[in-house]
Amino acid sequence: MELEFFSAAFLSALFAIVLIDLVLAGDNALIIGLVARNLPKGQQRKVIFWGTFGAIAVRAAMAILVVYILNVPGFMLAGGIALVWIARKLLTPDPDAAAQHAAQAPAVSFAAALRTIVVADAIMGVDNVLAIGGAASGSIVLIVLGLAISVPIIVWGSHLVITLVDRYPSVILLGGAVLAWTGYSMVVREPLLAPWFEGHAATRLVIAILVFSISLAPWYSARLSARMKPLIVLLPALLIWMLAFDVAASHWKLQVDYLLAAESGEYLLEGLRWLGWLPLAAAFLWLHEQIMARSRRSARA
Amino acid sequence: MLLIHRSPRAANAVRTVSPGGELFVASVVICMILASFGDAVDPALFGEAGLEFALFDLGGEFSVLAMRHWHLLQLLLAGGILAAGIAVLRVGAPAAFKVLRPAPCRAIDKVPI
Repeated sequence: MELEFFSAAFLSALFAIVLIDLVLAGDNALIIGLVARNLPKGQQRKVIFWGTFGAIAVRAAMAILVVYILNVPGFMLAGGIALVWIARKLLTPDPDAAAQHAAQAPAVSFAAALRTIVVADAIMGVDNVLAIGGAASGSIVLIVLGLAISVPIIVWGSHLVITLVDRYPSVILLGGAVLAWTGYSMVVREPLLAPWFEGHAATRLVIAILVFSISLAPWYSARLSARMKPLIVLLPALLIWMLAFDVAASHWKLQVDYLLAAESGEYLLEGLRWLGWLPLAAAFLWLHEQIMARSRRSARA
Repeated sequence: MLLIHRSPRAANAVRTVSPGGELFVASVVICMILASFGDAVDPALFGEAGLEFALFDLGGEFSVLAMRHWHLLQLLLAGGILAAGIAVLRVGAPAAFKVLRPAPCRAIDKVPI
């Protein structure tokens, strides 16, 4: 699908790509710097050049691959779920992050350093390329633009990015929200699920709330009191429960709408749908309370 | 992701974010959810339901239905306007309520009635 140049859809997708690049690209610059730091002075410049070249080549290859992979049925859904996980990971506070990354295994030779950089880029660039592929909605121009924007960030922009996010941490929250939105739109665009969504349009809203409640959980959990923390699990679990009944109803041709129910079994099923989650939620809350009480006791001891 | 986690402030963005920035992003997220609600509701249902039903829901669902298939830039703009509105209310509402509160009985500017 090609979007019209400078249309609202094109500019929106481009903005999403820039934001995704800001929060996800740039890891390579860090790895290249860390690996090159452990080499002799003479080899450092060579490793930085070839490492950057390798990182860009790997990213370009993955970007081309992702265009084709996202057309395969099922991958759009998998990519959407992966983006939800990436958004959640992005927002999860990580106080020991700097210390962990400083302890990267040192590379002793030029070849080992180059190998480390290329392998690290292949692993760490997946999230970036996947997110760009999802935000671009299959537009080759946008994928190329996304790649073109991420390359300067890899090569020169790491300092700029770190200054920006340090000054405005809300960029990361916005990046997480955009990743979640991209993940949601990938899930609802999945070709395998498209006929199902046609018949169950209302489930789109349930999926949107589910995606946001899972991916933004680190954010809103930081604002919740200790007593309200179980909501982080209960809200997505309740949405999955409701969704499961809809899926089961269409799969096994069951009647779960009480307005259309005619037999006692259908009424029972409807009762289970709306009230069945209550004992499970109560059991979860009781278990959570027990675990909290035990941890309090052990902390006091 | 590794790079931004190098900054202690960015790694704890959920705690270090400014109230204004947080309000803006929260407003954008609300607009995203409303837009997905617009996508989930079939406008044809309103036509079938009849005019009286539509009139009752004029202020609610109709405004959300207008957000169907909105793009990110539109959502950001709407989120910005919503955040600005909430910020104005947060500042203006206490001032408005302060005017309505009666002055103390012994205040010098109290008008005897």
